[in-house]
Amino acid sequence: MTVLIRFIIIVITLMFFSFFYLYINDDKYYPGADFTISDMPDFEIKDLYSERLFNIKDLEGNYLINVWASWCITCRVEHSFLAKLDSKDIPIIGLNYKDEAQDAINWITRFGDPYKYIIHDYKGELALDLGVTGAPETFLLIDGKIIVHYRGEVNDMIWDDVFMPIIKKESLFDAN
Amino acid sequence: MLTKFFLFSTVIFSSFIISESLYKFDSVEDEKRFYSLIKEIRCPKCTSGSLASSNAPVSEDIKSKIIELIKEGKSDQEIKQFLSDRFGNQVLYNPGFSKDTYFLWFAPGLFLILILLIFFFRKRT
Amino acid sequence: MLIEIAHFLSILATGLFFLCFIFSFFLNSKDIYIINLVSRIYTHSFLIFLSSFLIYIWLAITDNFSVLYIAQHSNINLPVFYKVSSIWSAHEGSMFLWIIFLTFWGAIYNLATSNNQLLKARTLGVISLTSVGFLLFLLLTSNPFETILPLPPENGADINPVLQDPLLAIHPPMLYMGYVGFVIAFGQAIAFLFEGNPEIKWEKQVRSWSVASWSFLTLGIALGSWWAYYELGWGGYWFWDPVENVALMPWLAATAFIHSLSASSKSFILRIWTLLLSILVFSLSLFGAFIVRSGIIDSVHSFANDPERGLYLLSFIGLLVMTSLLLFSYRFNHLLSNKKIVSLSKESFISINNIFFGTLIFSTMLGVLYPLIYEFIYDQKISVGAPFYNAIFVPITLIACIFLYFSIDSKWQQSFNFKSLYQPLFLSITASSVIVALAFYKFLIVNFLTLASLLIGSIIIIRYLIVIYFYFVYRKFANFFSIIAHCGLGLLIISIALNNNLSSERALNIKINETAVYKDYQINFKNLRVVPGPNFDSVKADFVITNPNGKVFTLTPEKRKYFARGQVTTETAIHASALKDIYMTVGDQLDDGSWIVNIQFNVFIRWIWFSAIMMVLAGLLLTHSLSRSRS
Repeated sequence: MTVLIRFIIIVITLMFFSFFYLYINDDKYYPGADFTISDMPDFEIKDLYSERLFNIKDLEGNYLINVWASWCITCRVEHSFLAKLDSKDIPIIGLNYKDEAQDAINWITRFGDPYKYIIHDYKGELALDLGVTGAPETFLLIDGKIIVHYRGEVNDMIWDDVFMPIIKKESLFDAN
Repeated sequence: MLTKFFLFSTVIFSSFIISESLYKFDSVEDEKRFYSLIKEIRCPKCTSGSLASSNAPVSEDIKSKIIELIKEGKSDQEIKQFLSDRFGNQVLYNPGFSKDTYFLWFAPGLFLILILLIFFFRKRT
Repeated sequence: MLIEIAHFLSILATGLFFLCFIFSFFLNSKDIYIINLVSRIYTHSFLIFLSSFLIYIWLAITDNFSVLYIAQHSNINLPVFYKVSSIWSAHEGSMFLWIIFLTFWGAIYNLATSNNQLLKARTLGVISLTSVGFLLFLLLTSNPFETILPLPPENGADINPVLQDPLLAIHPPMLYMGYVGFVIAFGQAIAFLFEGNPEIKWEKQVRSWSVASWSFLTLGIALGSWWAYYELGWGGYWFWDPVENVALMPWLAATAFIHSLSASSKSFILRIWTLLLSILVFSLSLFGAFIVRSGIIDSVHSFANDPERGLYLLSFIGLLVMTSLLLFSYRFNHLLSNKKIVSLSKESFISINNIFFGTLIFSTMLGVLYPLIYEFIYDQKISVGAPFYNAIFVPITLIACIFLYFSIDSKWQQSFNFKSLYQPLFLSITASSVIVALAFYKFLIVNFLTLASLLIGSIIIIRYLIVIYFYFVYRKFANFFSIIAHCGLGLLIISIALNNNLSSERALNIKINETAVYKDYQINFKNLRVVPGPNFDSVKADFVITNPNGKVFTLTPEKRKYFARGQVTTETAIHASALKDIYMTVGDQLDDGSWIVNIQFNVFIRWIWFSAIMMVLAGLLLTHSLSRSRS
């Protein structure tokens, strides 16, 4: 009986502390990355520049959706990387999040347009359906399904470690 | 400075005007449901804390959406499902009752019963 | 220059504490000469370490920004009080304070305990070893003595405005005093186990220290809760935040411990429980320090992330706890008492109490660890919050309180006296049923758990009132410490239940000079003014409130913008009374010029902290009584 209690005490304490040891050492590289696969939610929102309405049927194939806004400071930093992606012909759709249309247009005019087109989600309705919590955030979609949802700025390192493995595996975007 | 600007631009009424509540509910029950729900749902952007304790923009959006869903007659469970579909399971402070969480819910009770049994039936040396 | 002296003194103290440990465990700790030596070395070590801290305080007060930590957390414009409290506003400094309190408890123990006491040397040894471990942690990974030289900044950064609050300045010191005070019981327990002589009555020695620490811990937690209520702006007082839970667990263990101690210090019963609990309380305190400072749990309370710190703390604490538990597991069977626990005696009720508290500790730990384990295994996130903890704590606490009720009539080492049970039982059930019926009719409460809580809370209080009556009329024995503390518990249960059930809130949309009506209260938005403050600008909103009886008062919630970091905070306005708090905060302004204003009615909330104060009072009175009887 005593031996049993001794055993229980020692084993439980050891398990307890080893768990924490393993947990601390477990490298969680990118807490902002979410690889849950889900369907693209349905929506109907107008384009930033015109009255043209977009809905889910306009989105086909493989592309990125980038959530941005003129009030988002990190977006300015991310912008140059998006421009680089654009120059490699990677299709990025811009989701302008809770932004005044004129502010967004001014921003694009000033910094350049890396997007195929921009959806003006003034109220953030599509963003809510996508589980967006702020800007910048980036989604990778394959055949209209959300494969990656990254919260935070995308740069060379994030792109290589979070997005590229999947892009290579699925041979998307002419596999660059 | 922005506040001072707003101050000057505020129209001051001198009459006795009754104002309204910001979140419009159809009933007192709905209002209670709302305040109870926002305590159980985690703010997806904050390090920790419920929607009730957060005034982050996304929290405000979610709160408005919840009110909309309440108005549409959705149940608490449906509202929570709606939010966890979009923001992940971790946005629910109630981890739910599924095979993944049976241990969580049952262990305390089992622990108590087990130890009490040992105590009452121990061999008295 | 001074900072280097302080740094050196801390290093010196570390060495001396280590020496103290070595002498106490590797020399004959029962030799009076050795005990004197160890005691003297300890005193010197402590004084040297204290000087280091006092110099540090001086450097903070005199705005010495060549010290990196002071530059990061203090500012010339801060009032002196906050310059001092900025020392414990972040990781390195608060760790410094923690160790000061740890060694301070050791120092008073040293002073108050005669050198004839067999366990004294090794107890000091354990305290010293613990201090050395934390000092090494401080000096090697979290050095508060780092400097910015040769060009120190002219001014420091402002500390987070949320931290500039008198209550918040006191809350960590009180908490730490509570946590580390249990090192004495821990040290004595280890010394006792090491010595292996079951005749030594170590429990009697530690009782006053432990009850005092428990009082501080209770006070610290209550202060934190009260601060969160009026500062954070949404009217809650307990959030089951991981860091709060990690502070609650030592408190639960400590409460079980002091009850178990009261049994063991009278006779050789429940010794094993008491020993185990003394190790558990301190281990949980250390575990709490680890969780908060390693950054592995997301919480608004946690200090900055650093895996290196986490690993060090984990290793040190792991080693300490595992060694103690190993020692316990090898020695406890020598301590099995010949005395059996008499059925339905007070000791048996205390055993059951230990089991209930043990379950609560287990459940809290489970809730805290579950998301971590889940994420580790499934790579998916999950949250465990208030719904879980409330579902576990409420029923278990209520059932435990029923046992508490019956324990009032129990006796030490004697069976239950059923004769004295029936009359008071009948009386208390009747009286509390009346109270519950009142609640039902007046407040229209129908929720089962609320009514059950009301019943059980009042039954306990009424039973104790009967005890008091018997004391005055029949001179029957009454333990007033127990009475005050347990009535506090009963009141706590009642207040939480009523607060939960009867409180309400609403978000209003008001323009200046408009009036809103909420629950028969008229709320008139009288004025909005901009007021400059010492290190912030504030927008104050004056509201004139008229209650249903016609009584009028003003509430002025505000929004502040702090200069240094540009942070905006909301200050709540509270009208407190015995029955409820009227709680207002002002939100943002909308485009049409109206303001979002939040109003809450928090019913019976003051009683929650009042009941905590009752418990603290009982603890302090008991400490006083115990230390008197020691001398």
